[in-house]
Amino acid sequence: MASRKIRVDYIARVEGESSLDLHVRNGAVEAVRLSIFEPPRFFEALLRGRGYNEVLDIVARICGICPIAYQMSGVHAIENALGIKVDLPIRALRRLFYCGEWIQSHALHIAMLHAPDFLGYPDAITMAHDHSEAVERALALKKTGNELLRLLGGREIHPINARIGGFYRVPSRNELTPMAEALKRARDQAVDTLRWAADFTFPECARDYEFVALRRPDEYPMNEGRIVSSAGLDIAVADYQAEFIERQVPHSTALHSVLRERGAYLVGPMARYALNRDRLPAEIRALADEVGLEPVCRNPFRSILVRALELVYACDEALRLIAVYEPPARPFAAAEPKAAVGHACTEAPRGILYHRYRLDRDGTILEASLVPPTAQNQGVIEEDVRRVANAALDLEDEALQARCEQSIRNHDPCISCAAHFLKLQVHRE
Amino acid sequence: MSGTDRPSVLVVGIGNSDRGDDGVGPAVARWLRGRLPASVKILERSGNALALLNDWEGCSLAILIDASSPMTEPGRIRRLDLTQNPLSLAFSPASSHAFGLAETIELARSLGRLPLCLVAYLVEGEKFAAGAPLSPTVAKAVEAVVERILAEIFSLPQTWRDHA
Repeated sequence: MASRKIRVDYIARVEGESSLDLHVRNGAVEAVRLSIFEPPRFFEALLRGRGYNEVLDIVARICGICPIAYQMSGVHAIENALGIKVDLPIRALRRLFYCGEWIQSHALHIAMLHAPDFLGYPDAITMAHDHSEAVERALALKKTGNELLRLLGGREIHPINARIGGFYRVPSRNELTPMAEALKRARDQAVDTLRWAADFTFPECARDYEFVALRRPDEYPMNEGRIVSSAGLDIAVADYQAEFIERQVPHSTALHSVLRERGAYLVGPMARYALNRDRLPAEIRALADEVGLEPVCRNPFRSILVRALELVYACDEALRLIAVYEPPARPFAAAEPKAAVGHACTEAPRGILYHRYRLDRDGTILEASLVPPTAQNQGVIEEDVRRVANAALDLEDEALQARCEQSIRNHDPCISCAAHFLKLQVHRE
Repeated sequence: MSGTDRPSVLVVGIGNSDRGDDGVGPAVARWLRGRLPASVKILERSGNALALLNDWEGCSLAILIDASSPMTEPGRIRRLDLTQNPLSLAFSPASSHAFGLAETIELARSLGRLPLCLVAYLVEGEKFAAGAPLSPTVAKAVEAVVERILAEIFSLPQTWRDHA
């Protein structure tokens, strides 16, 4: 068999719609094309001509799974443009808001989308017959994350309470306190989820990724930091466009991002952990050691462990933030529009999310640029599939397809965000 | 049913009122408000289908109203008993966000978390454009669905309806 073609028309258990084409010739993978065919959504054009204070409500609509990420990158970029400094309790509430999103997004992906690959089930529905406890845990975690989003954002999907300078309304201590009880239970459920995932069998794979993530001196990154990489990049967010470029590819409605000098790079939990493990509290590092998670994880199939570790951390961090919370003197800092350019990068559950806006004197948006994590990871995902497929070409098409899909899900792609996504076709010649 | 504050009957209008005929579920839910016993809980849901597992926890009967994909007859009303039968993907295509209505119902079935009875009224949609109102044929079906649900709930044993 000299030639083999595998095509997956709709890749399941990912957020959004995409397909994969794999061309195999003379026993080697010749081409891998991850095609994102969701229609382009033109959010960047849609933002032009709108007021700066409309940004958060518009960008929250980009994704039902990670609206907080869009709101946080948006709010920080506008505030960067307008020179707004927020009070420390507002900063703490934003980090708490982000913890809610990490909890609900990571819990969903670990148990409902990714775990069936390791346990040999077609989906979480079938897996739930034999692993109901794990599925119930994930549902409880997701519920807790969503409750936190509802409390701070007014509602869990496309929240409405964040605004430039802070929040329309901030919670009282009494409103946050009951969340602590739910988060303590969530913390235990997250630890159980990590230990459950640690027992999975992971395919061998070692990739020499260039990891890219935010980094700060004093905490695991969420809302801010410098952009650093495992190859020595260390830049201010404002210099993002000098180092990273977006390219159009004919087979996808999503742009591919590359490092101008070195090409494909990886963002997301594996990158955050590799570059910021020293910023995790000792008890979280001890949990990583307990489950055998190496300080720098280069096996993408083990990303599920990193995600679970971050799930525990997000619960702990939310509990810490609630324990020390003091309501701010004012819910938001006032803003005066001016002609300016602002940039921001925050750590969405799937990796760094870059926003840049150019504002007119009256605050009208003249230009908007949004670079989601999945667009940044596409090059790495295609290369992962190429390597995984090359190592598994002796498998029948069905098993090969499953392995390829698993390697895509390793990175929890959010196709809707990137469409600017999955079908798999393997073509063997 | 044990003595909880859960309603024994739940009605959920599913959909996005800003996407044309996708808004038929919420439209029915709004028409039903004030016309059902106070113990019957009426919700409008859009987006997170998994939230239904919590919404219907402890319910004897949950009635869902949703738009179905355009097929042959816009405005056509289908009543499906999902207590024993899955919701066909022909009516409810998979969500682009991993867990749509059909998947959520089957997950609940796997976990033993379905209400005692689960019924869906599906109204075949015609247009789903952003910002559009209900199309005339689907708007006309709203009243018919409301009447059928009222008749269904008022024919229930008193103990189901009035439990609170």
